[in-house]
Amino acid sequence: MSSPLSFSSAWLFTMIMAAVAHAGFPEDPTFKQDVQPLLKTYCVRCHNANEMESGVRVDHLDGTFPDRNLALWKGIRRQLVSESMPPEDEIQPTAQQRKLFADWIEQSLAEALSRKRDNNGTIRRLTVSQYRNTLADLLGLKEDLTGVLPPDGLSKDGFANNGQTLLLSPLLVESYFDIAEKALNLCIVDESTPPVIQTFRMDLGQAINKEPCPDELILGANSLLLANQDFVVTELKPKKSFEFVPFSMQKEFRFIEGYQGNDTVRGWRDFHGIYHAVFACMRGNEGYPKGKAYETVAEGLLLRPAIPSAELFGVESTYGPRANFKVSLRELPDHGNFRVIVKAARYNDGLLLDPGAASQPANSDGAITVDGLNRPQTVTIERPGIYQADVYLNSIEEPIVDPDGQSVAKPQSLALTIGDRGFSGTLNQPAFLVVRLPAGALPIEARYGGDATPARIVFTPLDADQTVSQRFAAFEKRSPLLGVHLGLRRDCGSTLNQVGKAQEVTGGEISEYVFEGAINNFPSPDQTTNFNYLTGFHEIGVRSEFTDGRDMPRLLIRSVEFEGPFYDQWPPATHRGILIESDNQDNPEAYASEVIEAFASRAFRRPVTGEEQATLLDIWRASFDQTQDFQQSIKDALLVVLTSPQFLFLIEASSGPEDELLDPYELASKLSYFLWNSAPDDRLLELAATDSLHESLDIEISRMIADSRFQQFIEQFASQWLQLDKFDVVEIDRSRYPTLTRDTRTHLRQESARTLNYLIQQNLPLRHLVQSDLILANDVVASYYGLGDKTESGFEFVPVEHGDANLGGILSQASILAGLSDGRESNPVKRGAWLARKIIAEPPDDPPPNVPQISDEDPTLTLREKLEVHRNQKGCVNCHSGIDPWGLPFEVFDAGGLFKHDVNVDASSTLPDKTEVRDLNELKAYFADDRLDRVAFSFLKHLTSYATGRTLSFYETAQLEEQALALRLHDYRMQDLIRFVVQSDMFLKK
Amino acid sequence: MTLTKLDRRAVLKGIAGASLALPVLDAMGDDIAEQVPRRFCALYTANGMSLPKSEHGIDEWNFFPQIEGKDFVFGKSTEPLSPFRQQVSFLGGLHHPNGSKADPHICSDMWLTGAPLHNPKPGQFNSVGLDQVIAKHTKQFCRQPSLVLSIDAGVGFLSRTGTISYDTEGRPIPAENNPRRVFDRLFQGDRASLLSQRETIRRRIKLVDAVLDNTRRLNQRLGKSDRQKMDEYLASLSEIESRLIASEKWADIPLKQQDHSHLNLDATNEGEPHEYYRNMFDLIALAFDADITRSVTFMLNREDGMGISDTFPLKLGLTRTHHNLSHAGDKEGQLQFAKYDRFLAEQLAHFFGRLQEYQDRDGSVLDNSIVMFGSGASTTHYPKNLPTLIAGGANMGLKHGVHWRSGDTRMSNVHLSILHSMGIEENSFADSTGVLQDSIFSHV
Repeated sequence: MSSPLSFSSAWLFTMIMAAVAHAGFPEDPTFKQDVQPLLKTYCVRCHNANEMESGVRVDHLDGTFPDRNLALWKGIRRQLVSESMPPEDEIQPTAQQRKLFADWIEQSLAEALSRKRDNNGTIRRLTVSQYRNTLADLLGLKEDLTGVLPPDGLSKDGFANNGQTLLLSPLLVESYFDIAEKALNLCIVDESTPPVIQTFRMDLGQAINKEPCPDELILGANSLLLANQDFVVTELKPKKSFEFVPFSMQKEFRFIEGYQGNDTVRGWRDFHGIYHAVFACMRGNEGYPKGKAYETVAEGLLLRPAIPSAELFGVESTYGPRANFKVSLRELPDHGNFRVIVKAARYNDGLLLDPGAASQPANSDGAITVDGLNRPQTVTIERPGIYQADVYLNSIEEPIVDPDGQSVAKPQSLALTIGDRGFSGTLNQPAFLVVRLPAGALPIEARYGGDATPARIVFTPLDADQTVSQRFAAFEKRSPLLGVHLGLRRDCGSTLNQVGKAQEVTGGEISEYVFEGAINNFPSPDQTTNFNYLTGFHEIGVRSEFTDGRDMPRLLIRSVEFEGPFYDQWPPATHRGILIESDNQDNPEAYASEVIEAFASRAFRRPVTGEEQATLLDIWRASFDQTQDFQQSIKDALLVVLTSPQFLFLIEASSGPEDELLDPYELASKLSYFLWNSAPDDRLLELAATDSLHESLDIEISRMIADSRFQQFIEQFASQWLQLDKFDVVEIDRSRYPTLTRDTRTHLRQESARTLNYLIQQNLPLRHLVQSDLILANDVVASYYGLGDKTESGFEFVPVEHGDANLGGILSQASILAGLSDGRESNPVKRGAWLARKIIAEPPDDPPPNVPQISDEDPTLTLREKLEVHRNQKGCVNCHSGIDPWGLPFEVFDAGGLFKHDVNVDASSTLPDKTEVRDLNELKAYFADDRLDRVAFSFLKHLTSYATGRTLSFYETAQLEEQALALRLHDYRMQDLIRFVVQSDMFLKK
Repeated sequence: MTLTKLDRRAVLKGIAGASLALPVLDAMGDDIAEQVPRRFCALYTANGMSLPKSEHGIDEWNFFPQIEGKDFVFGKSTEPLSPFRQQVSFLGGLHHPNGSKADPHICSDMWLTGAPLHNPKPGQFNSVGLDQVIAKHTKQFCRQPSLVLSIDAGVGFLSRTGTISYDTEGRPIPAENNPRRVFDRLFQGDRASLLSQRETIRRRIKLVDAVLDNTRRLNQRLGKSDRQKMDEYLASLSEIESRLIASEKWADIPLKQQDHSHLNLDATNEGEPHEYYRNMFDLIALAFDADITRSVTFMLNREDGMGISDTFPLKLGLTRTHHNLSHAGDKEGQLQFAKYDRFLAEQLAHFFGRLQEYQDRDGSVLDNSIVMFGSGASTTHYPKNLPTLIAGGANMGLKHGVHWRSGDTRMSNVHLSILHSMGIEENSFADSTGVLQDSIFSHV
């Protein structure tokens, strides 16, 4: 458990490391004469080898400044200058003594920092995410096999790719072998055996099945299946350019356990037919706020946006979203990629009006009244356009809801058919629907509350400038987002993962939407033997994705088709990528040599050396001699490639302590693992081969930033620099922050990364990080901030001019503010410490041992008062003077990351340099105007540390701070900062 | 573990040539032979155990003894265990904090894992269970990492699980439920599959060897680079190689000679419950005695009326099914539920007897095994005060003969205490906050 005060900083660690005195540096005579006596008099009594008060000892210091002692000396100086030590109740040095001591340290530090470091290259292993990306790029395998790897630890700077923290263990190395073996077995196939491929399609539509399943289908509690006649399942045989065996699903079953009423039943029973293997299921949370969640019509299944549960369990039922369509089935392939093709369209929909909507005035110009609705009627529309349909229940103008809002009669559902379109929903008042009507004759039918009919319906044409027509116009332009999900059915819900991204369904005509994935990346029921009718189900969910609840035309699903394993050629590309075309295929040894050379050179990210090639070929030969199995022996050799340090490690070999330029291949790898978090592509390797990468760096950086793989950098860097993992784990108090649901969080989580990406892609000034007119938002994020009316972008993040004085920049992003809370109360200490570390790179010291928790203080005090009490305790003031002033301005934002709108909030603060700020906006302005150099330095320091995979030395940090000032001339543009890092000695030299 | 006593290549040569002399274990080196087996067995019963309402006046049928501490008196439902008074303890007040947040039927899914099943990571369901953490550490010493048993075969389905064992990725491990299949797998190990398994291991050893060679050669070319990472890699490779060599040898080491005549391998879960449980427990005891595995889970019955065990009370002459009895509020129903607990306690007593009968080098198998018996609910669907009984493990510092409770205690802290008792120094387990203090675990 980390207490709110357990801050880490570089120097406590270094102090512990400093326990052994370092030899080899010249001693300074001033030390013996002037400084050592002071240490002995004022410090050593508490800070010696035995006492080590606060974990610090100084008795061993000999006046030299080896690297490992630098932080300790820095710390001592800080204690002296701030007069924090010696403690008040101890004898104190004179002001003169303090000054002498502090000046001497400062001078010695400056000398020490200007020393040149030894540079002995680096060897670090790939992080889990680098390994995953590299394996995927190398093999073309979609299946992720790296789930077994333990997550990487984080360095003090917060980065997972720091060579010092990337540990190795037998367990990890064993996993590398297992993964390599699995991967090669998946890539290389027996080409002489035709693959078995499962293909089927479920067609949907009212009464389209002329031979429906005669049995009453039940699939457990609340199974909510579509009517048997509303769907058809057909097994298909697709056209392929190669021979294959179509998979036939099991259709004869014998089960002993089943379901009836609210109980399980036992007894063997036989079941027959495909409809006991594949079900069309709508089980989900019940009730839909507006209209019916789903409806089958002649053309297919209509779906409203699938409103997710706030949490998976607990808050609502566990059955999943509302409008939760799934194909539930017993069998899916156990390996390979799959493809789901959904035929879908945007429904030509009408807008259901909300409770309280007004009817159009009677006898409006052009209004058409339809009565006699106890039988079908036809109206003729002369003027095509937007109409409002007001529905009256009886001939008297009687409202369903009286003027006080009291229900006169419980509103019932109205089903209105206009032409071949259906609209149903609760009739709260006469104003029911806004809809676009074409010219010509239109059949009209209506049913109210089952069998009754309304007295009349009035269709009133709307002017374009009416509010309600504008709402309809916006509604009409929206496109439902089609999402496919795959996983398993639980008896109390489903565990599904989304397949790729949701796709916008823009057209009114039925079109095909293709979704692809690797089947084993998705949850599966793990069923072996099964005698229970209800168990072992896979599910393919097809949804209209919910964004923020804005009205959306319904999604029409015509059919859902599955094919898997999906191959576009045989043997598949993964196989051909390894067992390459060659004239030598008849000569095992020559062919093996070619295969190995090509593979190892790609895997090692440089040409394989003669020695390595010989070793690998030996492995192949030994295996081949023993087994006479070419594929097996090739797999053996390639497995060694995939478990060798040349593949698993990023190696910058050094021939001595002096600086050397990276060799071109080392540079290619360093660059690509920095900007892509994966291996260099062919172009980078070609440039390395011709030794022209160094001079092409500028062009290559531009190319790499524009490449889609750059997002892999953005995700990693944003997440680790800004500590977004805190937001992943914080438990939000749902009663206080009801809109901060599980789904909303996944969108807010992306805001920081999208912002960073946008600033870099547009090469905007760094100032936008702390102060900006823009936020990057999709509909969900915009809506969370109350800016829902400013976006129409679905799930896509777009720049939004927020026009809100309290937004803009990462400091006011919900993912950060909520992540730095306990889910209930805002926390200025967490926020302040985060800002000090991440934004201005002035990390606070670690707390001394045995500091009382802030929560232990008097509960009647306000937080600000508690902080003051806490801060005034001995041992606390020093750290907190570098934390609290940064955290207090954030108090205008609550633990959900939203502006408090509370005039009583006191967010004023006196910053360490005595600047007064009243709130976060003034703090942002302070950074943007007065301290931008510091913010830029902090960003660069973190970026360089990430780019080089190591913690920077004091020397490098000092150099960086000085050199970075040159970038100010061009407003610290984001791409300039990246180029600066790549062109620095820290990056280019080893 | 490292194999310092015997040269690896000598071992390989020995295996390739004539079979090794017995006892092979002793020849393999002291670190294996002298390693005292430390075993774990988890026994789960669903739907809670008998905690009758006080108004019925049948408190003597409560699973938990009426008195805490050393002077407790066995209740009637656990009385069959009284001969083992000095080898068992009752633990009260235990709960999984995540239990009350999730669907109550998934308490058996989380019994050994403590996972936040109410809000799992996307696409994930469970997390690793105690038995599999133990198996990870003990597998190098025995033939099979773990043995996963259940009343119904397979995994059931999520939230009505048919197994209580979850692997390192939180995936359910399918259970075996047929005594003959279990016996064949454990003791008959067909020659062909053993040989093919050994072939796989040998291939892996060769490849690890090749990577070692390659790594050493690369290391020599690295000039003055900082080699710390390379050294770590080489050390890891060597460690893996030693472990593989240890696994490989099992194919050639004959199983311990045991008397199997008491087994009735025709018993099935469709027959007499008593006969079925007796044989399953005998198989576990034999597997422990022969050191075939050191981690066992056995799910005695399933939640919510799932599976065949729901009918066992009927077969024993009681009037309702197990799930229905667990919901009973009336005196007769609660009494019947308690009587079924007594039936289970009788089976357990038989099992403990077997474990006590079999001898290790230093005491009985029971002294070297920690057996945890319990349920994920106290009364039906109530995830607090989980009925828990722990037996054995005297040689791992367990001090028994006590009814222990200390307010509300996290189940994961018990799990962590078991790990530490077994010498597995994990820092935490699931949502644990530390080990149990002043409890039956003295080596934590």
